[in-house]
This record gives sequence, structure tokens and C-alpha cells, in this order.
Amino acid sequence: MLNSQPMRSSLQVAPLSIQKTRSGQCDDGSESTATDYYSQADMTPPTTPNGSGTHDEDVLERPPSPGPVFHNYLRAFYPFQPSYAMTDSTVTLPLNEGEVILVHSIHTNGWADGTLLVSGDRGWLPTNYCEAYDPEEMRNLLKALLNFWDLMRSTSVNDTDIFGNQEFMKGLIAGVRYLLDHTDCLTRESPLVQRNDAIRRSRKSLLSELSALVKTAKRLQEAQKLIDADEEINKIVDEMILKAFKIVTKGVKFLDNMNEERKARMPAIAMMTTVMEEVPPTPPAESVSFAPEQMEAGDAGSRCKENRGGPEPAPSDTSEGTQESAGVNKGLSGAYQYQPQPASSTNARRLSQNAPSQGNRLSSTISHRVSLVGPSPLSRRQNLVSERLNACHDIFLSHLGSFIGRLHVQSQSRPQLALAIKQSASSGGELLVVIDVVCAQNSLGIEALIHSRCAMYDHLRNLMRTARDVLLTSGPEMEDVIVPQDNGRLLGAATSCVKATGECVAKTKWVIERIGDFEFEGNCNGDMATFDLDLSALDAIQEVRERSMSNAAESASIAGSSVSETPTASTSVSVTPSAISRHKPALSIDKPLPQVPQTTSPVTEQSAEASHSPQTSRRQSLVDDNASSMVSSVASLRPSLPPLPRISTAIPLEDDYAPTGQSAGHESVEYQSFRAESMTASSSGSASTYLSRDSESSLVSQTSTRATTPDHAPRNQPSLCELSVAESAAVSTIGGVAESTTHDEVEDVESQLLERTYAHELMFNKEGQVTGGSLAALVERLTTHESTPDAMFVSTFYLTFRLFCTPVKLAEALIDRFDYVGEAPHVAAPVRLRAYNVFKGWLETHWREDSDHEALPLIKQFAEFKLGSILPTAGKRLLDLADKVSSNDGTLVPRLLSSMGKTNTSASQFLPSDIPLPPPVVPKSHANALNNWKSGGSSPSILDFDPLEVSRQLTIKQMTLFCSIMPEELLGSKWTKMGGIRAPNVKAMSAFTTGLSNLVADSILQFDEVKKRAHVIKHWIKIGHQCSQLHNYDALMAITCALTDTSIKRLKMTWDAVSPKRKEQLKSLQAIVDFNQNYKVLRARLQDRVPPCLPFLGMFLTDLTFVDVGNPATKTSDTGLIVINFDKHTRTAKSIGELQRFQIPYRLTELPDFQEWLAAQIERVREKDKAGVNTQATHYRKSLLLEPREVQALRTPVEPVSAVTTPVGNGMFGWMRGGSVSQPAQV
Amino acid sequence: MLRTMPRYGYQPCREFHVVVLGAGGVGKSCLTAQFVHQEWIENYDPTIEDSYRTQLTVDGRQVMLEILDTAGADQFVAMRDLYMKTGQGFLLVFSITSRASLEELVSLRDDIIRIKDDENIPIVIVGNKADLTDQRAVDRARAFAISQQWNAPYYESSARTRSNVDEVFIDLCRQMLRREDYVDDSRENDPYYHKADDPSSSKRRRRRKNRDNKEHKCVVL
Repeated sequence: MLNSQPMRSSLQVAPLSIQKTRSGQCDDGSESTATDYYSQADMTPPTTPNGSGTHDEDVLERPPSPGPVFHNYLRAFYPFQPSYAMTDSTVTLPLNEGEVILVHSIHTNGWADGTLLVSGDRGWLPTNYCEAYDPEEMRNLLKALLNFWDLMRSTSVNDTDIFGNQEFMKGLIAGVRYLLDHTDCLTRESPLVQRNDAIRRSRKSLLSELSALVKTAKRLQEAQKLIDADEEINKIVDEMILKAFKIVTKGVKFLDNMNEERKARMPAIAMMTTVMEEVPPTPPAESVSFAPEQMEAGDAGSRCKENRGGPEPAPSDTSEGTQESAGVNKGLSGAYQYQPQPASSTNARRLSQNAPSQGNRLSSTISHRVSLVGPSPLSRRQNLVSERLNACHDIFLSHLGSFIGRLHVQSQSRPQLALAIKQSASSGGELLVVIDVVCAQNSLGIEALIHSRCAMYDHLRNLMRTARDVLLTSGPEMEDVIVPQDNGRLLGAATSCVKATGECVAKTKWVIERIGDFEFEGNCNGDMATFDLDLSALDAIQEVRERSMSNAAESASIAGSSVSETPTASTSVSVTPSAISRHKPALSIDKPLPQVPQTTSPVTEQSAEASHSPQTSRRQSLVDDNASSMVSSVASLRPSLPPLPRISTAIPLEDDYAPTGQSAGHESVEYQSFRAESMTASSSGSASTYLSRDSESSLVSQTSTRATTPDHAPRNQPSLCELSVAESAAVSTIGGVAESTTHDEVEDVESQLLERTYAHELMFNKEGQVTGGSLAALVERLTTHESTPDAMFVSTFYLTFRLFCTPVKLAEALIDRFDYVGEAPHVAAPVRLRAYNVFKGWLETHWREDSDHEALPLIKQFAEFKLGSILPTAGKRLLDLADKVSSNDGTLVPRLLSSMGKTNTSASQFLPSDIPLPPPVVPKSHANALNNWKSGGSSPSILDFDPLEVSRQLTIKQMTLFCSIMPEELLGSKWTKMGGIRAPNVKAMSAFTTGLSNLVADSILQFDEVKKRAHVIKHWIKIGHQCSQLHNYDALMAITCALTDTSIKRLKMTWDAVSPKRKEQLKSLQAIVDFNQNYKVLRARLQDRVPPCLPFLGMFLTDLTFVDVGNPATKTSDTGLIVINFDKHTRTAKSIGELQRFQIPYRLTELPDFQEWLAAQIERVREKDKAGVNTQATHYRKSLLLEPREVQALRTPVEPVSAVTTPVGNGMFGWMRGGSVSQPAQV
Repeated sequence: MLRTMPRYGYQPCREFHVVVLGAGGVGKSCLTAQFVHQEWIENYDPTIEDSYRTQLTVDGRQVMLEILDTAGADQFVAMRDLYMKTGQGFLLVFSITSRASLEELVSLRDDIIRIKDDENIPIVIVGNKADLTDQRAVDRARAFAISQQWNAPYYESSARTRSNVDEVFIDLCRQMLRREDYVDDSRENDPYYHKADDPSSSKRRRRRKNRDNKEHKCVVL
């Protein structure tokens, strides 16, 4: 496999496949084509070297039907010199042998709009001078360049999210690494590098190019900090693009050298290669490969023949023939100019059953690279099929969305519903049209596409049917209103429709990506009209739809846009050829020919066309009309010149084209156009188009996320990752761009390439937070060398790691990280230090002896041998810690609450300590009552204390409990399991709150007299009010719950004795802690509440429970890897962090005596609870005794008085237990 | 406001409060999460306002459910009263793998009936974790007996496999709807009737209600 086969194969196949691409049609297979190609040698230009001897191999190497693939890169194998004068609208670039081109689009006539990597010039290039370039070793790098290019062009330079860090550089670096890795040249010491001087040199220049780019990227970051640096930034960005190109150029060179070397070492192959090289490299002529099909083709074929027959058919229009400078056979070239087009069109007709209907045919003349970049309005990109697809999908989804939304709204008037469904239907139809066009365009992967298309179609039809049923069945008596009877069905139908559509669109995108984007000029407006029947005809429409759709679906071929196209559009294959071919020649003419080995001058062609048949121009103008959005300048250009001048269209202001390409070298001009294009692109690119290249993102979710930044483009916070910067520390020189890189820098980049990384196993959300990842990737994130890791990430990790891995696993992962970073010497030191710090932090503050001790031996061993040998002091320190931790229960360094909560913003905002404590409100009577109680006297009642002071003391007590809650207790719903033994503080807190509630009820129910009870109620309301003033919502919850408890609430007489004002006050207090709408009020209050504040714990507990059960433990990454759902843990940590934010004591004076009394009271109440009594039921019974049912009859509850004076033992009412509490009610 | 509407005519979306009750560890929160969780929401955030609100169609009628689930905060016993008072329908969830969890329902039901002061309050009994058949500790006969005794339908569900999750809520909705209709009907001629929600009306309702017309149901996986 070390031979050059991959390369050769691409060499051989390239021209053919390019042609196929150009024609936009599928091919029978390369073999037959190639054969025919040769057999027709007399009619075609001399065979190209590529095709000849190696033909068989070619077939062997390639699958029989490779399918037309859009090649992103081409490589010239023959020099090309445009010798004609440039028109202002045409930029044709010269090509040197071996140059690599980044292709933006390919016109059917064989010209490609591409950028020369060597110079950065963009212009038209003859594809028949080129071969596809995609050697396996380079693949990643090439792909990375594409992404880089798209990113640089599409993103506004001020986007600090993107450029604030170096993440965007990663792909290129990884690409280079891949190249070196797969050529066994990763290290300088590799024998290959040592031995072969050429390889060594090219490797070095590749690396220095890379480090230059990295440096430039640094400069970009710097420049962004400047205030008014747009210009500067633009310059840098352009520079970076060029540099990136250079990297690839160097990479190509390197690989060439490598292949030389391989050749040299493998004589057999070398021979073959040389044979190849001996043949004079004549680029293949365009039409050649199509010749066979032309012959077969019916009248179209003969037509072509006619053209061909007269080699110099119309000297008049082939004026180029005369102009051809090189002395190559003019006749041939002249002839060929016309052939490609008709041939390909015929070909298209015949080969693909599913030819696009006429409306779309034109579109296939250019195929574009699917780009991340949004359309540039001037280049008429909106007609690209990928954009069309996205747009239609968007529209369809939004219509369906509003339809679904309507279903959720209670009032659905029939017209509204019908309208919504009609819109959905028509937009769905449009989408289908687009998909059909894509299907028709190519047979690549068509089965899968057809399958999902049919599925989508079925769902859509189902929706229509359902809708029709619903609309029809609702009787006339309710003319304007639809019974929501069938909502469920509609909803289901709509939802599955969304899903099916998503799948189908994704598949279509995949196909487009493979075959290249092309322009879409389907007559969609017409289609829509078909659907646009008025409401009453809705069902009729549907039938129409169904018919046409099923036609389409059933004729296994997609029958093109038939769905919505007029019936004629879906005509059978046979009908069309003649009609089409009629136009086609014209078409082909209007797009100039590719060039035969010698140069053809587009200019002349142009004039030729201009003078050409009226048909052409008519056709053109038609097209133009269709494309209403086309900028006029483009429009005017288009008819006349074939050669796609669109390049310079990118410069928005220029009406016609600056002769940019003329002199290959002006980088400045070129820059300008880059810039200009990127500007327009970024301004016009909608989020949805942004998605286009690689978004496999979950289709369903697109519904909601489309409008926003795509999820899959992680933008990392600057702080998080400067990941791949050339370890910025080393390359810190910011100054001169310096083409000349020092040896050090090269080395630096080199070492960077050596890094092993799990970064690809991380998942991010659009805020740049980690949402998932494998353990190794998370650990890597934790120990990233470039910057301090995100605090939230670190604290989440420490807090929750036991939920997704074992302590042993974590230790292993850290040790592994410690080991493998050794491969990257320049970062080894910081990373190892961080790994050590992670261990240290774990042992010091996050150690849980009970669960973590099993990892201790591992850690000790690591500290002693691995760490100790590299960082002796650190090793020793870690050993010490390990020893301490095992002897000491609990954490070594008590976690400061404030530091624990540091993930949150303002933990430190509690009252400064110099503010004096508020003086306690303790009238003499209070103290006396307490003293009396302490010395054995009767217990004071709550009425003896001032409400403010009661609330303060309650708050102190509760806050103490609250502050002692450890974050561990809140993980994994621990407090609900095993009776909460592993969450003692949570339990204590909730027990106290419940006890308080019971105390409230008890204190009310202990009085027989209505007045006294009312008094106690009033008192508690006052206390509650004070609690709310103190922002003690836990106590407030307890008190209001108690006061509204059934047993209290039902004491009608008592409540009658409470003033309306108090009752109102209670109501407003209740509203604060109302749990309706998920504690809406309380949440709002807590949101920007500055501590001190005591939130209601139960709310957090419920949140945490639902985070725990509502989110799966793992998720699947884009690459299909199952990774830890870190998002779940982040949510958990966030919730806990929010709770911790409030773990700050109040500055209040504690009254020990009162606390004692309070504790005793709570304890007293709790005693009863412990006895297994249902306290609530007890209270209720007591309440019944105090104010029996149907009280109206009895004015005063005389009877129970004696029974209730003392706290009631449960035995008395024991008979009531056993589930018949409600019994008395029925008496 | 809604009583003037003909039964099958246009009716506004009803809003019901459903309370999910059960011992800890029976997976009731899973049940709620599964039911509320729209499958296209990738990450469930329980802290937003309508985390527990969901709309569904029952027998062609729109129902908005607000689900009250004390999951995680069950220790705050004092709140239960308030929850129950708010609820118009109750899911009593136990785990078929725990007999004790079924026993706990007894007192919960007693509380409900006491607090709602209504013996016919809509209730559905749910035996969760039905997928753990090998750990079954409560046989169906037992659950069925209780179902009959309480005159409340019994379902066996599995939040994990998402079986019978929607069904239990829909059944409960049906009960609540039917009950509302019943009230509507019986109030049709009562000019003083105001709102079904009024606690005082429930008392009267309780007495009027005829148990016999309530259908009985047992659904088993």
C-alpha cells in the first residue's frame, strides 16, 4: 500500500468523473465509457496519458460505478496558459503542472471556478487539465482547509466567539498531523526523514508554514483586542487564508516527495509510473467520454454528430478556432466546443431515468461545492439546491410548526386550520420538488434517498388525509369551529411528518454534498399555484396532490418534480429528448468550451455565442426572468459569457469585473475579493445555511434550533480553549509575520502535532459548555494546559464524577493522561502539573473516604513512582496527602462555603462584618418566661415572644441546618434512598421544617377557646410575615402550609375571629411560596436575591430529582460514540451551586435560651411523629373535636374541652386509624 | 363560564391539577418525567415554569394538565396537604417490586379523601416498574383487589420502557372530565352554581354522586 496507487487511480479517473460531475448526470460506469472513449479516438483528441495503459487497474481499483462525485480539489497535470486577452468579465487563470485548486463550482462546460492554492488567485480553470486530488494521506488536511476557508469567509471577523480562541485552527493542525502520521514522518527521528533529504526539507517547510499560520492566528487574536482594527483584522484573515493554502501546497509537495521515495523503493511500481510519465500528457478533451452515449442517443445524438461531423462547422461562430495560438488540431477543438453540452444532456436523459424536468435542467450546468458559507447575494447563490433545500425545509417546518401550534391552541377555527394545513402542504410539496430534483440529478445513494423521500411523502399524505377527514367530518352546524376530536391524530400525523422530513432532508444533503451543489431553477412558483386553491377546495387539492405525488412515488424513479410540477413536467423520458436537445446545443454553446490542450479563448467564444442563435439568447433571457433575484449585472453577464465570471461578482461594488486574475500575483486585489465575499456571505448567510455542510444534527430538534446558532459548531469560550494554538507560550512572538520561521518554531509545531488527544470525544453546546464526553476527554479537559479550566466545569466534575465513573477509573484516567502527555514534551510539564493538581484538589477538598479509598493504592503508587520521578516534591506532597486522607475521616481542607459556591457569581455579598448585629427584641417578659421554663416551670407559649424575634431565631436555627448540607448529599437523589442516611443534613433540615409546621398546628390546636386559637393564628401570621421580610422562605413555607392545612383551615369559627387584614396578609404570604406553575413566584424572588436568604429546600430537592430522572446518563455524540451526558451533571451542579449560593449565615444574634425552648418544642412535636402517628390525621381529629363537622348547629364546642387541654396522646384516637378517617364525615 | 356550553360543542381547554403520590423509590418521578418530557427536548430542565405542564387530547377534548409531583420533597409532609387540596385527580403510584410501597398508598388515599372530603375523587392506581417482572412482589390479584375496593382503575406501567405512561394520565383525565360533565349536568338548572372548584360544592357533589355509574377497569400489561 505504500505505492502510489491511490494517487494514480485518482489520476486516471479524474477527468472522467469530472465530466460526469459537470454534466450532473450519472454514468453507466467508467469502464464502458473509457473504452468507448478510446475506440473513438479518431474523432477525439489524442488520448491522454492517464487513460491508456492503466485503464484496467483503474477499473479494478474503483468500484464499477463510482458515481459522479464532486471533487473539492483538482490538480493540474498539464500547464495551461490562457493566451487570449482577458475580458473584463472573465478571469481565466494560468495553471502550472502540479498546482492544486480548491474548487468552488464546476460549470458543465468544464470550466471550474476555483482558487489556486499556490497563489490564492481565483478564477476559471479548465478541468480537463486537472485531475481530482484526494490522496488518502492528505484527506484530512484538505477537508480541514475547506472548513477553514468556509469559516474564514463566512464569519465576521469580529466574532470573538470563533476567533477568541484557537479552536478553529485545530482542524488544520490535525490534518497535518494525519499526513505526517500516515507517511511515518511524524517525528524528525523517523528513518524516512533522516534518510531522504527532500522529504526532510519539505517536511520542515510544511511545519514552518504551519507555525507561521499559528502565529498569524495569534496576531489575529491580538488584533481583535484593538479597538478599531477591522482593517487590520481583515488583512490578517486574508493572510491566514493564504497561509492555509500554503500549508496545503507544502503538504502536497511533501507527499509528492514521499511518493518519489516510495517509487524509488518499489521498482515495479516505479516502472509503471514512469511509463505513465513518458506519455505526453495531453489533457483529455471534454466531450470524449460522452461520445458513446452521443452515438446511442436518438435524434439528440445525431444532432451532436452533425456538429461533430463538420469539424469546423461554422467557422463563423467558432472564431476561437482561428484564435487558438497553439498549433493543435483546430478542427477538433472547434468541434468539441459544442459537444460536451448536448452530449451530456442527452446522456443525462438516457442514463438517468429520473431526468429533472425542463425547468431544472438548466440548473445542472453548474455544480458547486456545498459550502458552509452562506450565499453571496451577488453570485445568485440562492438558487443553489442546497439552499433551496434548506429554505424549503425551513418554510415547511415553520408551517407545520404553526399548524401544530394551532392544534395546541384551544380555539381552532376551521379556516385557520385549513390555511395552516394548506400552507404546510404546499411548502411540503415544494420541498419534495427540491428533493426530487436532487434525486434526478444523481443516482448516487439514491435508494436510501428515495426510501426516505417516500416515507416523508407518505407521512405528508397521511397528514393531508387526516386533515381532510377532520375538516370534512366536522358537521356544518359548527361552521367556524372544529371539534378538537381529531387533534391527537392531526398532532401525531404532523409530528411524524416533521420527523420523516428531517430524515429525508438529511439524506438529501448528504447526496448533495457528494455530488456537488448545483443551481436549481425549478419553477416553484408555478407549483405552489397548484396548491394555492382556495379553502373550499382543500380536499380537492389534496386529491390532486395525492395523485401527482403517488405518481411520483410509484414510478420508482422520482419522475422529477412531478409532484408539483404541471402534469407535463412528469413526462416520460422518451418524450423529452428532442425538445431538450433542441435547447441544449444552444446551452452548450453559450457556455464556452473547456479547452483542448491548447488554449481556447473564452473571449472568442463569447463573441461567437453572442452572435449565435437567437434560441440561445431567448433561453437565457427566460432563465434570467426566472431568477428574479439575480443581480442585474450578473444577469447581463450570464447570457453573454459562458465563462463564469462570477468570481469577481463577489466584489459588491464593482459592476463589472476587475481584471483580477489577469496578473496572477496580485494578492492585494485578491484579498479584497476574499474579504468582500466573506462580508457579503456573512451578512447574508442565514443560520440555516450555516448548517448545510455537515449538519447531521438531530433533525427533529432542528425545528427549534434552526433559528439559532447550530449546535454542532461549538464556540468555546475563550478561556476554555486556546487548545491548539502552538502552545502559545512558546511561539509568543507576536511581531513580524515572518515568512521565515525559526527552527524552534518548527519544532514547536512539530511537537504539537505529536499530541495525543481525546478532544474529538467532547460535545459542546452552543454556549461552548461541555455537554458530553468520554471520561478520557473530560479528564483531558480538566487538565488542559493552555488555560485554567472553566471553574464551573471543574467544580461540576469534582462534585459529580462519582455518578459517572468510579474513583479508581478517575485515578486511572488521570494517570493515563499524565503518561500520554509525555508524548508532547512542550506541554507535558504544565499538563502533568495540572494532573497533579487535580489529584491534590481531590484529596484535599473533595475526598470521600468511604467511596474513594479504593483508589488510594493507585494514587499512592502513582505518587511514589511516576509523579515522584518527574516532580519529586509534588510526588511527596501527594503521598503525604494520601496518607493523611486515609487516616483522617473527612476532607483535609474544610471546604469554605464561599469557595464551594464560587461557581456562582456573588457568594461574597453577605453583610460585611463591621455592620452591627441587630439588637434582639427581648422584652423582660420573654426572658422571664424562658427562665421560668428552664427552672422547671410551665412552658411559655409562642404568644409570649415577639414575632420578629421568633422569626429571627427560627431563621438562625434553620440556616445552621441549611449551611451544613453538603453537596454530596444532594447527588443521585441520595436523600430519598435508604431513608436518607447518606444525606443526614438534608434530612435534618426537612425534619425541622416539618416539625415547625406541626408545631404551628399544634400550638393552635392546643387551645380550646376560639379567641385564643385565633390569637395564635394571628401571631403565626405575623411571624410568617417577619420570615418573609428576612427572606426565610423555608420557614414561610412551613408556616403557611400549617395555617392552610385542612385541620386548621376548617376551624371556621376561629378564622372568623381573625381580622380580614390578617387573612389578606396570609394570602399574600401564601402567594409567595405557592408551588403552582413550578414555584414561579418563589423562583423569581430567589433569582436575583442577594444572600442572606433561606430558600425553600424542597424546591431544590424536586429540581434535583427531576434533573436526575429526566436526563439520561449517556448520550450519543455526532460520531456515534456513547459518551457521558455531562450536561446532566452540569445541571445538577448548577442546581447545587444555586443552593450553595445561599449557604451564608445571617448576621443575627442567637438567643441560646430561646433556641433551647424552640428545640424542645420541635422535639415534643416530633416525638409524636416518631411514635408512628400520622400527625396530620391526629391534628385533624383534634380539629374535629374542637369544631365538629356541620358546626353551624353547635355554637360552641363544649364537649371536647377537657379532652384537649393537654397535648393529646394518640392512644385516645387510635381506633380511628386504619384508613377510615373519612368515616366520621359520613355520619 | 363553561357550564353554558353544550356538552359536545365548543369547549375551552380545561385545566386540571394532577397530583402524583407514592412512596419514595417507586419511580413516580420517572413516570412524571416520562410523561411531561417531550421526546424532542434533548435535555430536561425541571426549573422552568411549565416543566410540569402538558397538554393532551382526551376523547377529542383539550386538557391542560399541571402535574404536581413532590418527588424528592416527600419529607416535607406538611406540604402534602396543600398539594392534595390543589389536586383534582390523583395518581397513586407504587412499585410492583415493593409491597410496602403499596401499603403506603392506603394512608395516602385516606389523606386524599379526608382533605378533598370526597370519596369519589378521581384516582388511578399505578403499579410501576412493571418491566421488573422477576422482582415482582405484588401480584396482580392483590392490586386488583385494592382497585376494586377503592373503585379506582389499576394500571401497570413502566416508566423505563414507557409503557402505559400516557394511559394512566389519560384515564385520570377521563375521570376528571366525566366528573366535570356530571357536575355540569347536575348544575344545569342551578342558577346559583358558580364554580366546580369551590370546595363547598364538592361536598354536595359527594353526596349526590352515584357510585354505580362509575365504570370499573383493570388494565394489565
